[in-house]
Amino acid sequence: MKSYALKPFLKYISRKFIFLLVTYFIAITIVFILPRAIPGNPLSTLLRQIFQQGQANPELIRSVHKTLMEEFGLGKPWYEQYIDFVTRAFRGDFGTSISSYPKKTLELIIPVMPWTLMLLIPSIITAWIIGNTLGAIAGYKRGSFTDRFTLNFSLIVSQIPYYWLGMLLIFTLSVKLHIFPGQGGYSQGTIPTFTLKFILDMLYHYILPFLSIVISALGGWAIGTRVLVIYELDADYVNFGELLGLKEKTVFRYIFRNSILPQVTGLALSLGGALGGALITEIIFNYPGTGYLLFRALSTLDYPLIQGIFIILIGSIYLANFFVDFLYALIDPRIRLGQSEGS
Amino acid sequence: MRSSFPEKIIISGGASMSKVLSILLVCLMILGVSFSTVSAQISIPREDTVYCIGAIWGPPTTWNPYAPQATWGTDPFLFMPLFYYSNAKDAWLPGVGETYKVVNKTTLQVKIRDLAKWSDGKPITAEDVEFTFNTTKKFGFGPGAGWYDYIASVKAISDKVVEFKIRTDKPNYFSFMGYSLGTRVMPKHVYEDLEKKGQNIRDWANNDPAKQVVSGPYKLFFQDPNNVIYERLDNWWGKDVFGLPKPKYIAHIVYKDNASANLAFEKGDADWAGTFIPEVYALWEKKGLPIRTWFKSKPYYMPDGIGFLYISYQNPILKDPNIRKAIAYAIPYADMLEKAYFNYGSQAHPSMVIDLFDVYKQWIDYTWARTTWKSEDGRIKTNLDTANKILDTAGYKRGRDGIRVTKDGKRLGPYTISVPYGWTDWMMMCEMIAKNLQTIGIDVKTEFPDYSVWADRMTKGTFDFIISWSAGPGYDHPWNVYRFVLDHRLSKPFGEETWAGDWVRYNNPEVATILDKVASTLSPVEKKSLYSRLQRIVYRDLPAIPVFYAAHWYTFNETRWVGWPREENPWWYPPSPWSANNFPVLFGIAKKGETPKVPTWLATRDKGGYLIPTSQIWNDFMRAK
Repeated sequence: MKSYALKPFLKYISRKFIFLLVTYFIAITIVFILPRAIPGNPLSTLLRQIFQQGQANPELIRSVHKTLMEEFGLGKPWYEQYIDFVTRAFRGDFGTSISSYPKKTLELIIPVMPWTLMLLIPSIITAWIIGNTLGAIAGYKRGSFTDRFTLNFSLIVSQIPYYWLGMLLIFTLSVKLHIFPGQGGYSQGTIPTFTLKFILDMLYHYILPFLSIVISALGGWAIGTRVLVIYELDADYVNFGELLGLKEKTVFRYIFRNSILPQVTGLALSLGGALGGALITEIIFNYPGTGYLLFRALSTLDYPLIQGIFIILIGSIYLANFFVDFLYALIDPRIRLGQSEGS
Repeated sequence: MRSSFPEKIIISGGASMSKVLSILLVCLMILGVSFSTVSAQISIPREDTVYCIGAIWGPPTTWNPYAPQATWGTDPFLFMPLFYYSNAKDAWLPGVGETYKVVNKTTLQVKIRDLAKWSDGKPITAEDVEFTFNTTKKFGFGPGAGWYDYIASVKAISDKVVEFKIRTDKPNYFSFMGYSLGTRVMPKHVYEDLEKKGQNIRDWANNDPAKQVVSGPYKLFFQDPNNVIYERLDNWWGKDVFGLPKPKYIAHIVYKDNASANLAFEKGDADWAGTFIPEVYALWEKKGLPIRTWFKSKPYYMPDGIGFLYISYQNPILKDPNIRKAIAYAIPYADMLEKAYFNYGSQAHPSMVIDLFDVYKQWIDYTWARTTWKSEDGRIKTNLDTANKILDTAGYKRGRDGIRVTKDGKRLGPYTISVPYGWTDWMMMCEMIAKNLQTIGIDVKTEFPDYSVWADRMTKGTFDFIISWSAGPGYDHPWNVYRFVLDHRLSKPFGEETWAGDWVRYNNPEVATILDKVASTLSPVEKKSLYSRLQRIVYRDLPAIPVFYAAHWYTFNETRWVGWPREENPWWYPPSPWSANNFPVLFGIAKKGETPKVPTWLATRDKGGYLIPTSQIWNDFMRAK
C-alpha cells in the first residue's frame, strides 16, 4: 500500500469502527428491552416444574419464588437491571441463565457453537460453490436448455421456505423411507467422542439438515451469479478475448472470476450470521446448536440467555460487516480515494 | 450490496478462493479441538438401559438439591428420604430410615438404618438429617423448604436416631409428618467441605460423576445439553435391604417437544414415558405395540390432581354465587372429557376430593353432595335448563343479543376464558365451555396467550376464567386442595404475584379456621365433620369449580423392559418417570425374557414387607400422651 493512501484509509476504518461501537451499544440496549417487553414472568416455567413433580406445597413454592426473584434481581427497577446488565456485559459477564440456573449463559452458549458452525459453515460454502458454478454456467450459456433449467430450478428452490424443505426431507427420507435419522446431532445413547465411530454417526445425522440448508440456499446464489455473468458478457475484455480467439473455457474463467466478486462479500456476510444458527432448521432437526438454544431461551423468557446469544450473534455479524468494509477499502481504490476527496 | 459493488475491480479469483479455503480450514481445526476436549467414553448398551421421556425439556442443570432447580433424577435416584410415600397405598416405605417412634403427641423419632451409607463409604447419620434441615432453613431453600413453619426442632439424639418436635403454637400434623418423614437427607461432610473451600452452596452444580456422593442406587454417568445418563452403583449399601434395581443405566434424551419424544417412544427408543400422548390407546388397539398405560381402557391414567375452572373475584359481577352455580351446571363435563381429553380423566367430584382413590372417599359427605347436586354420586350433571333457570331466578334478564344483563343494566361480558397456547387439550375444553356459557347468556370468549403471559395473569388474579391445576393426592389430601384453592393467607392483592395458592382471591376467614382445625386434629371423626363443613361452604360459594381429574402421565413400552406396575398388578404408585417417589419401580421391572418379580418388601409389615400405612402413624399419635 502506498503511503499517500494510508491516512485516509485509517480515517475510513476508524470512522467505521466508531460507527460499529455506537450501533453495537444501541443493539444491546434493544436486546435488553425486547425480552422484557414480552409480558410474563421468566420464573413461571421453573415454578410450574415444581407443581409437576407433585411437590406443590405452598411453603416450598413461596420460598423458591422468593429465592429466585432475589437471585436474578427481577424485583429491582428496570434501570438498575439495565445498568447492571451493561456493566457486566462490558466485562464479558453475560449473567446467569434462569432456566438453567446456576449455569452461566456463556457456559451454555459455547458448547453449542461448534455444532452450529459445523452445520452452517460447510453448508453455506457448499451452497455457495455449487450455486455460483451453476449460475455462471447458466449465464454463460444464456438461452440454452441448461440456462432455462438452472433458472427455473433455482427460482423454485430459492422460494421454498427452508424450514418447509427440512420438514419435507424428514417426512420422506426419515419417517417414511427410514433412510436417515430425522432428529438430533448424533444417535441417542452415544456420547460425543473423538472416535471414528462417533464421527460417522454424527455425519449420518448431519446429512439431512445439511441438505436442507444447501438446497434452499444454492438457488439464490445461482440466480445472482447468472445475472452478474450476463452483465459481464458485454464487457470489452470479453469481446476482445473472443476476437483474439481465446478458448471458450478461458473466457469463461475470466468472466467467472470477475463476476464472483460481489458474491464473495455476500458469502462473508452469510458466514458472519452463521452463529445465529439456521434457527428453524435446528429446531426442526432437534440439532443441538445456538439456534435451538435461542428457541429454548425465548420460550422460557430466559432474559440473560436471550441477551447472551444476541450479543454474540450481533457481535459476529458486526465483525463480519466490519471485515467486509475493510476488504472493500483494501481492494477498491475509489473508496480510499473517495474518502480523501471528501475530507 | 451486490448491485452497488463496482464492476471493474480485477483481483485474482484464485486468490479469493484460497482465502475462503483457509478460513474454512481454521474453522474445521477449531471444531476438531473442541471435540477432542470431550472425554472419551463408549456408548451404553441399549439392553441394559431404561430410556425415559417427559421429565426433562431443557439442558440439565445441577444435581444439588440446594440449587433452585436440580435436574430430574436427583430426587428419585440420587438422594433418598427417610421414608417414601405411596399415594395409592396410602403408606410409607422406609428408605434411609428404618422405624419411627411416636414419643408423645408432639415428638416423633426416626431411626436410620444401620447399613445406610453414602457412596463414599461414610455412614448416613442423624447428624446428616439435622444438617439437612438446618441448611435448608439457612438458605430458605432446599430439601424440606418451609419446614420451620411446622417443625419446632430437628435434633440428632444419637448417631442413628433423629428427633422431630412439632410446633405447638400452630400444630399441623399433615405437614409435621410429611416434612419429617419425607425430606431427603443430604451428606453433611460434603457440604461442610464445600463451605470450608468458600464455595457458594447454591451455585454448586455437583456435575462431576467422580465426585458425587449419593445415598441412592444410582449416580450421574454422563451429561451434556441433550443427554442425562445415570449408572447403577453395584456396591450400593441398600442391596442387602432392597436388592439392586434392574436397569444398569437410566437415560433421558432432551427432546424438543412432546411429538418428537412420543415418536421415539413409539419406535421403542424409549421405555418409560411421562408425556401426554394423544390417542394413546391406538398404540395397542390399532398398532398392536407392546405399550400400555395404567388402565387398559378408559380413563387409561390414574389421577394426579384436580383441574379447576377458576373464576376470579376481581370482577364484581362474577362474585355472585348464582352466576357461579349456573356456570357449574353449564360446563359440558362428559362431552369435554371425551372430545378434548381422550377420556384420560373423569369428571371431578364437586367436593374437591379425588374419589378415584378409595382411601379418600371417607372424606366426602355424600349425603350432602347428593342433596345439593341431585345426582347419585353427588357430581354435577350438565344441564343448561337448570343453568338458565338459576340465572332467570336471580334476575339476570337477556338483552337483545341474547346476553344477560344485571338488574342495574350491566352486561354479563365480554369475559375471557384462557389457557396457554399449545395446550391443545385444555384449549379445546375452553372452546366448549365458552360455547355453553354463550348459550346460557354469558358472553365468554377464548383467549390463548403464551404460557408465561397466562401464568402472569393467573398468579396476579387478573383473569376472568382460567382452567388450571391445583394440588394432588397425598397424605394430606384433601386438606392440601382446600388449602391451595381457598386459603386467603396464601393469597395477595389483585395484581400482586402469588404462586402459593388462592389465585381467585377468595376471602373467607371461616375457611382458614376450619383448615387449621383439620390440620391440628388427630381424630378422623372430627376431621370428617370439618371436611363436611368445608364442603357446604364450597357448594354454597363455588370459589372454583372442580372440572376433571388431570392424568398422571405414565406409559410404558414393553419391547425391552417388562413388569411395569399397572391396574392388574398395582404394586407401586406413583410410577411416572418424573415422580420424585418412583424409587421402587426400578426394582420390580425386568429385561424382556426374564420374569419380573415384585419386591417382597412392597408388602405391609404384617405381611413381611416394609410398608407402614399412614393410618398406623395417625393411630400412634392418637394413642400417645
